[in-house]
Amino acid sequence: MDGPDVGWYLIVAATLFGIGALGVMLRRSPLIVLLSLEIMLNAASLTLIAFARQQGNLDGQIFALAVMAVAAAEVAIGLGLIVAMARRRVPLDVDQASALRG
Amino acid sequence: MIEVGGWVCLLAPLAGAVAITLAGVRISRRTAGWISTLTTFLAFGGALVAFVGLWAADHGDREELSTAYTWLASGNFDVGFQILLDPLSSTMMLVVSGVGGLIVWYSMGYMHGDDEERRYFAYMSLFVFSMLLLVEAGNFLLLLVGWGLVGLASYLLIGFWHRKPEAVAAAKKAFVMNAIGDATFALACVLLIWQTGTLEFFGVFEQVDGIPSTMVTLIALGLLGGAVAKSAQLPLQTWLPDAMEGPTPVSALIHAATMVTAGVYLLVRAHPVFEAAPGVQHLAAGLGAATLLVAGAIALVQWDIKRVIAYSTMSQIGYMFMAAGIGAYGYAMFHLMTHAFFKALLFMSAGLVIHHLDGEQDIRRMGGLKEVMPRTHVAFLVGILALVGIPPFAGFWSKDGIISSALATGGAFGYTLYVAALVGALFTGMYAFRLYYTVFRGSQSEFAASHAHVGHGEGPLSMLLPVGVLTVLSTVGGLLVIPGVWQPFTDWIGETAEALVEPTTAQDYGTSAIAVTLGLVGLYLARRAFYADRQLVTSPGAWRVLEHKLYFDEAYDALFYRPAAALSVALRRNVEEPVVERSLDEIGAGTIQVGGEVGRIQSGLLRGYAVAVAFAVAVLIVVFVAVR
Repeated sequence: MDGPDVGWYLIVAATLFGIGALGVMLRRSPLIVLLSLEIMLNAASLTLIAFARQQGNLDGQIFALAVMAVAAAEVAIGLGLIVAMARRRVPLDVDQASALRG
Repeated sequence: MIEVGGWVCLLAPLAGAVAITLAGVRISRRTAGWISTLTTFLAFGGALVAFVGLWAADHGDREELSTAYTWLASGNFDVGFQILLDPLSSTMMLVVSGVGGLIVWYSMGYMHGDDEERRYFAYMSLFVFSMLLLVEAGNFLLLLVGWGLVGLASYLLIGFWHRKPEAVAAAKKAFVMNAIGDATFALACVLLIWQTGTLEFFGVFEQVDGIPSTMVTLIALGLLGGAVAKSAQLPLQTWLPDAMEGPTPVSALIHAATMVTAGVYLLVRAHPVFEAAPGVQHLAAGLGAATLLVAGAIALVQWDIKRVIAYSTMSQIGYMFMAAGIGAYGYAMFHLMTHAFFKALLFMSAGLVIHHLDGEQDIRRMGGLKEVMPRTHVAFLVGILALVGIPPFAGFWSKDGIISSALATGGAFGYTLYVAALVGALFTGMYAFRLYYTVFRGSQSEFAASHAHVGHGEGPLSMLLPVGVLTVLSTVGGLLVIPGVWQPFTDWIGETAEALVEPTTAQDYGTSAIAVTLGLVGLYLARRAFYADRQLVTSPGAWRVLEHKLYFDEAYDALFYRPAAALSVALRRNVEEPVVERSLDEIGAGTIQVGGEVGRIQSGLLRGYAVAVAFAVAVLIVVFVAVR
């Protein structure tokens, strides 16, 4: 097997995931939150691919393709929501969109 | 051929009912009437085919059990959708579909112009199907199904004029009273399954001797309960007079000719069970005797033309119960058949009178109709003569056979029944001729005269023709049994249910002489009272008691309705309101409060949720790692 050890990939993926998670937790713009979510998804995909390569098994790669498809759909909905918010002049701030408070 | 006839007979009226229901308003009312009439006559054709086939078969080979499919199966126990064709059921099929066809035909004239004729004919066809299912059933469960369905059809038809509150109340009363009988019948079926493991007639009858006597008594009591309720015998008789709120052809078909005689059919059909429990069989005879006296006496004071005939029906079914109870099965069925003829005739000619007088049923407003309605007068008179048992009309041959069978039974029991039946014959003569004289003789009442100008004659042809056919049948229908000469009818029934008692020819004719004399005495008393312009019952106390139908309704009201109503009110006050309703309120309030507290966690802040999820995942990871 060529290339770096699988551990390196995991480190990169964990870093990406952490960046994404922090983005989701700390940023208030829905656009950035969405972007951070994508980063988390890609981190997960990266681990899948890394392990698939290590195991010599294609299942993980196919899984990654499925994740991409889901991510694309999710982004379409998310962006649609954001556009709708902008059109209605709802402030683009996730903290102010708190109508579901119990 | 026999089986085909049986199935055609069973399914033709069902097809009629379904066709009328599905067609709805796409067919005219007249078409609906014709569909119903013709399918019922088709059923009669099927019954005729089955009857002729059985007739042509050898002695002792006159039983056809035809199973369409296994309807229910559970372990070793299974019930088939099966029909049994034998002398008993084929006779009933002929009576039900034949008389039924005539009455449905008659209805086309009687119900003409009603708002909901199509619904009426669909119900009528449903009833004929249910009744045929009852008589053709090859096992107790299917019999019970038919039993329930005729109860339903009866309910629907009594309450047919659903804008009339009395009709709706009467329908409910009939249904509830019958439900009591249905329940005891169903319990008897459960006991039968427990004791014999089958519900098929032959299977049960083979094993009936092996059932412990207490158990067989309970089973017979259960079946008798069903029969008593369906046939309006004491003490479940109160629904039948009220059922007269329905249209008159319904009274003729269901509450005179067919459904109310189902109890007699059950007694004869299940005769091995009753013979294994002689106490119950004698109870049936005793109830019949009591009913025939009580109903005959009450009929003396009624003013409603249909109610008089209804009490007469109860009384005549009392005779049939008595016959079935002492084991004179052939005469029970014979009287059932002739009664179907002449009672349907009486109801239908009463219907002609009511039709002519635009719905009036009070006999005090009638009178002198003989001149206006000569043909109806003849038909009604034939019905009355057959009812009273004047030779050679139908009732003479069948009723006297029952009375002389009581004599032949002998013993204190037999003689008591004998005397009761003879007194009943006197009552019959009195109330029957009281009705006849009040309606048809004397001078015309103002009310009757005011309707004389109505130029529609006595009724449309579709009403007169069936009445004519029944007049003929009521005249000659009794000639199937002439003691000492021939008795094909009782021999025919005897193949299914062999009579336990056979009167001698001398007993027969001796009894007939007494019974006819008593009937004529009744005629004399009624005639004398009519022309002297006084009542048959002169004592005001007795009058009041009879007018209140021996206070049965009041007693049931006090015994069952009031305690139940009081209990319900008490339960509502002491349980429902303080316990159930209050606890529900508290559960609701508690839920709202808890929801308010829990709702605070739901901040609506998206980032807060994200942090919570991340934190929870972190905790879980730590837990998993630590546990490992």
